[in-house]
Amino acid sequence: MIRRIILDVLKPHKPGVVEVSEALSHLEGVEGVNVIIYEIDQQVENAKIVIVGSSIDFEGIKKKLEEMGATIHSVDEVAAGKIIVEEVETPQDRSARI
Amino acid sequence: MKFLEKIRRYIKISEVAPISRRYFVMNAFDGATTVLGIVIGAYAAEITNELWVIWSGLGVSLAMGLSGFVGAYMTEEAEREKKLNSLEKSMLTDLKDSVVGKASRFASLWAGIVDGVSPALTAVVCLTPFFLSSHGLFSIDFAIQLSVAMTLSIMFLLGVFLGKISNRNRLFHGAKMLCVGLIITFIFLVLKITQ
Repeated sequence: MIRRIILDVLKPHKPGVVEVSEALSHLEGVEGVNVIIYEIDQQVENAKIVIVGSSIDFEGIKKKLEEMGATIHSVDEVAAGKIIVEEVETPQDRSARI
Repeated sequence: MKFLEKIRRYIKISEVAPISRRYFVMNAFDGATTVLGIVIGAYAAEITNELWVIWSGLGVSLAMGLSGFVGAYMTEEAEREKKLNSLEKSMLTDLKDSVVGKASRFASLWAGIVDGVSPALTAVVCLTPFFLSSHGLFSIDFAIQLSVAMTLSIMFLLGVFLGKISNRNRLFHGAKMLCVGLIITFIFLVLKITQ
């Protein structure tokens, strides 16, 4: 039961972010969507998509994105289960930064 | 998804609206000018049979419609295919079944329909007085006058439409388009007088 998923997506300029986010938000099990464009190229753009819901169907998301002409570059974060568990900083992370 | 909503979505994605607007005005004007030429020519030749004008007009409408559809469809298809191929290269994926590919195919068809229907439709509208005249509603002389008036009005309205799009003086744009029609009429009348 996926509750939150963060995707790195490559998409054409059209359809725009408004249409993509609306299309994703209409999928079953999805309660909220956030799309941020962080890089724009001549023909394509990179977007970070955060999807939150009660039971997200990853295959459905993938299919919808492909239908919109977008491709998933990577799945950057997944939170599943009854509650959403946030990322926790560990001593290893601190030493890795040093 | 409803059919109309789908069409609206494809028009938005493919950005075909400005192109089809251009095609519409350009070819509707073509249709009107051609019929004006036929009607004025019929007047100059002192044609007394409406059927001559109707069949010449319909023949021209069909030819313009078909040539407009095929020409615009094939040109748009080639241009859009090139654009889609380039986008596919950037995306490193096949986009034919995506909304982008579907919108691209729709745009070619839409441009063809607009390009084909607009001149044929204008031509048929401008020929209406001759249909009515052939049913004995009024004389062929009145049909010629009415048809010329309708054609010039359509030209004026196309200019007004352009003025509306560009957010400029609609009457001025209408008058500019009307001038072209008046020039054609004037040339033919001068030719008839000097005949």
